[in-house]
Amino acid sequence: MDFADLAAFTIHDAKNRLALVATRAEVSGDAETLRGILESSASLTRLLTYYKAEKNSLGAEVDARVPADLVNELLLDISKQTTLTVKADLSAAPTLWFYDENLVRMVLLNALYNALRFAQKNIVISVVDRNGWLEFMVADDGAGFPPEQLVQRDNMQPVSRDGTGLGLYLARRVAALHSNAGSTGRIELNNKGGAVFTLLLPQ
Amino acid sequence: MAIISPFSNTSVLILDDLPEMRSSLRSQLASLGCEKVSVSGTVKDALEQCKLSKFDLILCDFYLAGGTDGQQFLEFLRSRRIISRSAVFVMVTAEKGYENVVTAAECLPDDYLLKPFTADALKGRIERLIEKKKRLAKVDAMQDKGNWPEVIVACDEIIAAKDRHMVDAMRIKGNALIMAGKADQAVVFYQQMIAMRPMPWAQLGLARALHQSGDMAGGKNTLQSLIVESPKMMAAYDLLGRLHQESGNHDEALAVLDSACEISPNSLARHRAIASVAEETGDFSRVEQALNQVVKKTRNSPLRETKDFARLGNALTEMGEPGKAVQLLEEARTSFKEDANNPLLAAVEAIAQQKAGRPEQAAQALTRAMQGGVSNLPQDIAMAVAKACLATGKQDEGESILKNLVQGAPDATGLHGKISGVLREHGLTERADALVAESMREIVQLNNEAVRRARAGELTAAAEMLVDAAQRLPGNVQIVTNASFALLFDVFTNGLDPAKIRLAQQFQQSAQAQNPKHPKLAEIAELMGRIRTKYTAGKA
Repeated sequence: MDFADLAAFTIHDAKNRLALVATRAEVSGDAETLRGILESSASLTRLLTYYKAEKNSLGAEVDARVPADLVNELLLDISKQTTLTVKADLSAAPTLWFYDENLVRMVLLNALYNALRFAQKNIVISVVDRNGWLEFMVADDGAGFPPEQLVQRDNMQPVSRDGTGLGLYLARRVAALHSNAGSTGRIELNNKGGAVFTLLLPQ
Repeated sequence: MAIISPFSNTSVLILDDLPEMRSSLRSQLASLGCEKVSVSGTVKDALEQCKLSKFDLILCDFYLAGGTDGQQFLEFLRSRRIISRSAVFVMVTAEKGYENVVTAAECLPDDYLLKPFTADALKGRIERLIEKKKRLAKVDAMQDKGNWPEVIVACDEIIAAKDRHMVDAMRIKGNALIMAGKADQAVVFYQQMIAMRPMPWAQLGLARALHQSGDMAGGKNTLQSLIVESPKMMAAYDLLGRLHQESGNHDEALAVLDSACEISPNSLARHRAIASVAEETGDFSRVEQALNQVVKKTRNSPLRETKDFARLGNALTEMGEPGKAVQLLEEARTSFKEDANNPLLAAVEAIAQQKAGRPEQAAQALTRAMQGGVSNLPQDIAMAVAKACLATGKQDEGESILKNLVQGAPDATGLHGKISGVLREHGLTERADALVAESMREIVQLNNEAVRRARAGELTAAAEMLVDAAQRLPGNVQIVTNASFALLFDVFTNGLDPAKIRLAQQFQQSAQAQNPKHPKLAEIAELMGRIRTKYTAGKA
């Protein structure tokens, strides 16, 4: 068995075990343990996704999805893992949009865990249909991105805010996999009362 | 005041081979107020439970012990219609994509749930899936009945509402157009879908529709570019393989299926498809190789198919190994109790026993093959039974089956060639030349006789004759449309009879599905209109 297969099996097995412990933590209402488990599991997912991206076997399974459902699901999950206030703004969410839900969930989850680490009190996750683009936004009220991170880069570089830079790298890859009629998805990082992460997906 | 959970009446089945996973899921469901929860640790047990009771929701782990996975389980349930479309099937897995090699759209789970997940996430998913089933209830019920025109109407209502289920309804409508035989409409519909967004399932649908409308080249081109864009879309390889097979390009068919096998080596459907191409070219060692894999993987699984054993037995006999074939077929017969009298299995065994020098056992096997009657058997099975008759010296019975096959498919020249070939193989050269012509002549005479009676004013008798023939030969579109027309003409002339109209509509739909461009269909529609005018006149 080569390393890649072994790694995939190991990750699979580890996630199964984490699923069992997560249920126990959830039942006993232990938010911190639950967060530790789910966050670890999310990093394993990113590791496997990175491997696929490097092997050029990462493809988007684009289908019609309900953005509000995804945001609500993330909101419920994240609220359980923190004492901070997490809110969703769905006032301008479209009924349907086309994207790969699993990949987008991975990207947004990563942005949310980042926000949990740096927010003072509040996190807002929103989704908006703006001029033919779907904008998923994760905003916190922390100190914002460090200036060097606001500069667009394609290579993966260790940066202070996000340990390895893997999360951001994958966010860009996932965004780029979403293209239609000449437009391609992208991400934007801004500081506006805190860090604002935006994933933009074309119609 | 007690809070009543919305799920207290939702019946759930959990299938997972790991006991701790089952209890973990069960406790999550309990925290949501689910009271009717059943658990299974094996596919065999889950299958029994599904046959005994109707579940609203099935949560199935992808990895299952015993050589099967959740996808195979789902395909088995759907192909045998063990669960209805109103049941929600959710695949639970730790990793989406890694094992995700999609087969037919019909066999997709309603949703994937990625481990680990919280009870709240589970709750949200279940709520939404149940809500979706409610919205699609009418569509699903009509699909379960195979009433495609009504499926299309129900889908159009949802599409017009432009709610969150719009695209779900579009996906179902495309398939319904194809199933209803409306190939040209389906082509246009899928082209509109693709213009909105080139989703892989819409491209696959377009290829199916083009194929049905007779545009082989268009179908192949669509599939070839789909495979480049979505190399994991297994259904695209399967269909492309079939198109190549139908146009006689057996080598290309095998090449496509082989490349699919490399991506998804565990798929049983693909090995079966390879076997079917190889059967046509007479490459029985290839058939043996492919079906051996299927039999090895399913031998001890409740998901095994008797047909695989029969086809493998046939390949062994063809390769000059009737002894090995007999061994395999006897094993299948004695261990698959419910299928001991399966006509294909018995027919193949009869030939193998005869060639192995055991005529007594051969005769017994042939009796089993024919005991359920031979007139309603599918084409390939009827062919096998006919071969078994000829191999064991029952020439009259064999010829009668072959005659029925010719009359049931008067335009299938490929089949006619095969039938002549079978007769020749058994040393009946003269019959090989005569049987097809005789059978066709009989049909012409039957049609002429019906027309004569109709002209003589015996409309009811003419209709009865044609109805008999249409029921015996459901694949003969000319007979089926004539029966429909005769029934309606009888009604038009002699007065309204709801039973006759219903039967006429059934024949019309069956003909529409088999050959949407048959010229008689327009005449039937026109006569239907005249009946409506005649019997509603004066009522308004």
